[in-house]
Amino acid sequence: MQDIKTYLTPCSIGEAVKAMAAGDVTVFCGGTDLSPQVESGARQYTNTLMNIRRVEGMGGIAEQGDSIRIGALTTVTEIRRDPLIAKTAPILAEAAEHFASDQIRNAASLGGNICNASPAGDMINPLLVLDADVELTRWQDGAATTRRVAMADFFLAPRKTAKRDDELLTAVFFKRPAANFIGFFRKSGPRPALEISTVSVGIGGQMDNGVFRNVRVAMGSVAPTPLRARNVEAALEGKPLNADTIRAAVAAVSADAKPIDDVRASAWYREHLVKVFTEEVLNHVLGN
Amino acid sequence: MEQKVTAASIEKKSLIGQRVKKPDAPDKATGKTRYINDMVLPQMLIGKVLFAGRPHAKIVSIDVSAAERLPGVHAVLTGKDAAGLKFGFVRDNVPLKEKVLCEHDEIAAVAAETEEIALKALDLIKVEYEDLPGVFSPEVGREASAPQLRENFPDNKSLRFEFKHGDLAAAEATSDFIADNVFRPHHVTHCCMGTSCAIADFDSNGKLTIWTQTQYPYNYKMDLAPALGITPGDIRVIQPPVGGAFGSKLDVYPYEPIAALLARKTGRPVKVIYSREDEFRASPTRQAAIIHMRTGCKRDGTITFRTADVLLDNGAYTSWGPTIPVIMMRTTSGHYRVPVVDFKAQAIYTNNPYAGSFRGYGNVQTTFATAQQMDILADQVDMDPLAFHIKNAQKSGEVTPQKSFLRECVLAECLETAARTSDYSRKRKEYAAERGKPGRYKKGIGLASSIHNAGGAKIHKSDGIGTILKVDDYARVTVITGASEIGQGIDAVINLIVSEELGVPLEHVTIVNNDSDIAPWDVGVHASRTTFIAGNGTRRAARKAKAQILKAAEKMLGEPAETLELRGGSVVRDQCGTPLIKLDRLLRQMHFQAEPELVMVTDYYEPNSEPEGADHISNHSAAYSHAVHVAEITVDTLTGEIKVDRITSAQDVGRVINRMGLEAQTEGGIAIGLGYALSENMQLERGLLKNPCFRDYKLITAPEMPELEMHFIESNCAEGPYGAKGVSELPTIVIAPAIANALFNATGVRIFNPPLSPEKVARAIHEKQQQEK
Amino acid sequence: MSLETEIKFTLNGRPVTARVPVTMKTLTMLREVLGLTGTKYACGEGECGACTVKVDGITLNSCLMHAVDCDGREVVTIEGLKTPDGMNAMQQAFVDHGAVQCGFCMPGMIMQADYLVGENPSLTREEAQRGLEGNLCRCTGYTKVLDAVESVVEKKCCGRR
Repeated sequence: MQDIKTYLTPCSIGEAVKAMAAGDVTVFCGGTDLSPQVESGARQYTNTLMNIRRVEGMGGIAEQGDSIRIGALTTVTEIRRDPLIAKTAPILAEAAEHFASDQIRNAASLGGNICNASPAGDMINPLLVLDADVELTRWQDGAATTRRVAMADFFLAPRKTAKRDDELLTAVFFKRPAANFIGFFRKSGPRPALEISTVSVGIGGQMDNGVFRNVRVAMGSVAPTPLRARNVEAALEGKPLNADTIRAAVAAVSADAKPIDDVRASAWYREHLVKVFTEEVLNHVLGN
Repeated sequence: MEQKVTAASIEKKSLIGQRVKKPDAPDKATGKTRYINDMVLPQMLIGKVLFAGRPHAKIVSIDVSAAERLPGVHAVLTGKDAAGLKFGFVRDNVPLKEKVLCEHDEIAAVAAETEEIALKALDLIKVEYEDLPGVFSPEVGREASAPQLRENFPDNKSLRFEFKHGDLAAAEATSDFIADNVFRPHHVTHCCMGTSCAIADFDSNGKLTIWTQTQYPYNYKMDLAPALGITPGDIRVIQPPVGGAFGSKLDVYPYEPIAALLARKTGRPVKVIYSREDEFRASPTRQAAIIHMRTGCKRDGTITFRTADVLLDNGAYTSWGPTIPVIMMRTTSGHYRVPVVDFKAQAIYTNNPYAGSFRGYGNVQTTFATAQQMDILADQVDMDPLAFHIKNAQKSGEVTPQKSFLRECVLAECLETAARTSDYSRKRKEYAAERGKPGRYKKGIGLASSIHNAGGAKIHKSDGIGTILKVDDYARVTVITGASEIGQGIDAVINLIVSEELGVPLEHVTIVNNDSDIAPWDVGVHASRTTFIAGNGTRRAARKAKAQILKAAEKMLGEPAETLELRGGSVVRDQCGTPLIKLDRLLRQMHFQAEPELVMVTDYYEPNSEPEGADHISNHSAAYSHAVHVAEITVDTLTGEIKVDRITSAQDVGRVINRMGLEAQTEGGIAIGLGYALSENMQLERGLLKNPCFRDYKLITAPEMPELEMHFIESNCAEGPYGAKGVSELPTIVIAPAIANALFNATGVRIFNPPLSPEKVARAIHEKQQQEK
Repeated sequence: MSLETEIKFTLNGRPVTARVPVTMKTLTMLREVLGLTGTKYACGEGECGACTVKVDGITLNSCLMHAVDCDGREVVTIEGLKTPDGMNAMQQAFVDHGAVQCGFCMPGMIMQADYLVGENPSLTREEAQRGLEGNLCRCTGYTKVLDAVESVVEKKCCGRR
């Protein structure tokens, strides 16, 4: 049994990160990942347990200049229903739509899903496509200071991110996509028959007179971390999107996706599905 | 003294076939019902079990001293505390083990003041194991080179069953087509929403009270007693409301005697309750099997023979799983008209988890084979596929090679109804023609039928039920019945029958059925028997009470009893409905007359069937019935997903008693069958379960339930209550092969080992495409 | 053993104070500390929905939520759904439509169904199916559950769709 010595419920970011500077803090909000992981023994509580639900300034979805800012405490349901997201980044709403169940969506925070760093992370996939940054805050020299890390650089190894132990993920930013940006997310479903494999593909980019530019391809559950599929991107970048380039992109999947066999699916099937989804999403882009 | 009542005449309004609410539903809907999982008794301790976590090992040493010393721990038991307490069908099990034979073997048990302390105590128990090579399939287990798992069972051989009828060689010689396939029905588990739980308490006279989820309270005593070294008569069985059973509680499993042993040791009530992970690992499974089946027929469509050579994975202990051949052979010999039969089954001990009963009991596995082979042959014979089924469908009065007497048999009508309303024949042809054409999504339609016991199954010496019924001075009825309510709705059926016979409102009936000190004998909830058996028992008891009441009415009113009825809470003239006296008034008059009379009746009902017998030739059920499912699916040939669009079912129910409950059981049974067909799979790797959680063991969810069209065919069973037959297993039995047949129709791919998971389907389609290149 | 703290919150409309270990989940607190056994444990890992309760108007799995997180909030369990006149519309519909069999999953199912219709009074059957995907049931096949939900929507909508 875990011996927690201190329980904190900070109300401000400063309070929260100051406590984290002392180290040894387990952060939670909805607990949708923490709880089952502690239950199974995959994770242990540390000396300090910190509930960040009441921290002000960590919620909300709003425009900030040419970017959209999503507070880390925003729940998946809030993202699913948000009109700004629906208008500017429907690919994110699509991922929220298929995330677990209603009860989990209602409790799961965006920050939690990102920090959990599962290779399957459904909210991470579209954020990679949107070239998002995470905002990390820590207590330094008597003040709360922030830095940004690109999502594409955030995931280092299975369940390991570039976030320091004394940092709090406070927000996610992405530039408002250009008018000619098209992006789609496709995940195995309907639940639950395929959710076992939890393979996902997100593709987005700008369609410029039939030429696909600034292509971002993200894949879930086919690598140790959420994956930017660089070879698939290269096969598409700056080229007209047509049957030939789609075929080349699908072939390039093998260079990027390195899935494993596990209790949920075989490597063969994961790769097969990712190719199917890649082709499907690209055809969807083409159709639009 | 005649009591004049001048109310208007009361019309006869039958409840049979109506929609009757389940009496316990309001308490369940408001969270008031106390399930066994919710129960807390004063001074109760929590019991937890230490499982082996490895499939085959010697226990070198076990040190419980640290656990015993932990504050709050009241008892720690190990295998030596249970030595000699052998129980089980073949007495091959003990509550706590001294040798490990499967992953979930119970090595130690702790009783403590809280769950937290009990779990901590488990962590403090030090066990040293010496791992031994394991046996993980029956094919390996029966080889001479395999490790011998038990001293008394050479070649790891467990139960064996055989049935033969007719000249097989001759039948083979006359066959134009023979379907010859190996099917591998897999390990699945019940996933009751309420996890396994038992509470045990000994009184000061040494008598045991056990609160249990059992669905067979009387033979349960007989099976539990040896596990504790006590006599069955000293056990009181109380059945609180349960969160499902589906056959998983038809045997004694170690956690129950463990609760009692802990209670005996500590002198306090002990509750043992499983976590969901424990439940996945340690509760019994459905019996997995390897079925080599051959079905032969002539060009003109006549079935000539059917053989089945079955190998069963007995698992580490023998529960009800390895006895399924008793039913498997009935399907092999009785599913359609089969003139020649050769059935054999051998169970082989392994270090895998072991199987118990599960809704459909052996018929799920067998029909997966028979119904697919019928579909295979249907494409080969010189006739329309539907005509092939109907040609071989028995008619009322036919007898199978095992002497199952199909008194009322409407298989043909079920086939015709299901096929007609689903437009089966036309779609089957159309979709088959589309198979080879390009296109990602393919539609398929598949038909399957089966036969199952519908009037009990006399596999024990008695297949009967006792009923006690009383009517009090307020015309309130209490039925004390042996029938167990496990969520299936027998309470509503009994309620309906009492109200129907005695003319009292549904709300005026109380059912007592959950205490073995009070309620009389019943064999238990299995074999789709409860509506039939308990329905008959209840009706008989109610009619006895009615006869007594009407006789008293005759005496008091001077009108012949045969002209009277009970309706709307009164005694009425049957023909015109004129009420003569209110029932409660009559009962009080009976009670307070010079020679007082209370209405208290008893009944014992034994169905008109024959014991199973060692040769398996007997009419072992008082009725049989059939169901046909037509499944319509859309297959995504790229992802392998099967979406079930629509299911049409036609089932012989004899007579509809509670229409709402009947629909509910059909819908629920289909859902379990769909999970079996599409997504449920216990992934065992060298005896270890890799997916002991709902995340990775996939049950059917709400979005996956297709449209259901249900036809209830009423064959009016002469032996059944109001003509009713048992119903609840057929919906689970028939759906999986219907889907497998639909998959073939859509894609030309046939899968012999369920589940028809997306990966399996995708691979099979992929391989077929590679072969065709 | 574990650090405990005192929390104050509203439970089924009434103020309540409880002292709980910080690691305890809301489900355990409801069942074992507060004696409300209507909410069920069936998996403990947020997969089955049997533990569904409403917190500040939204449903979630109480087996995942830390009990201390109830502090200052409004919690409603199955016991809190009924009205002074008896069962609420959803509970009554479940009873009337035969949606209850063993009933173990029903508190969670009813809580979620009630929430879905509250959020969207013109919920379609298909939307109800999706909204209930996090509630597992082994007895019913969900058909009568969906019939019950549809009937409540129809009554609310008075035919409007």
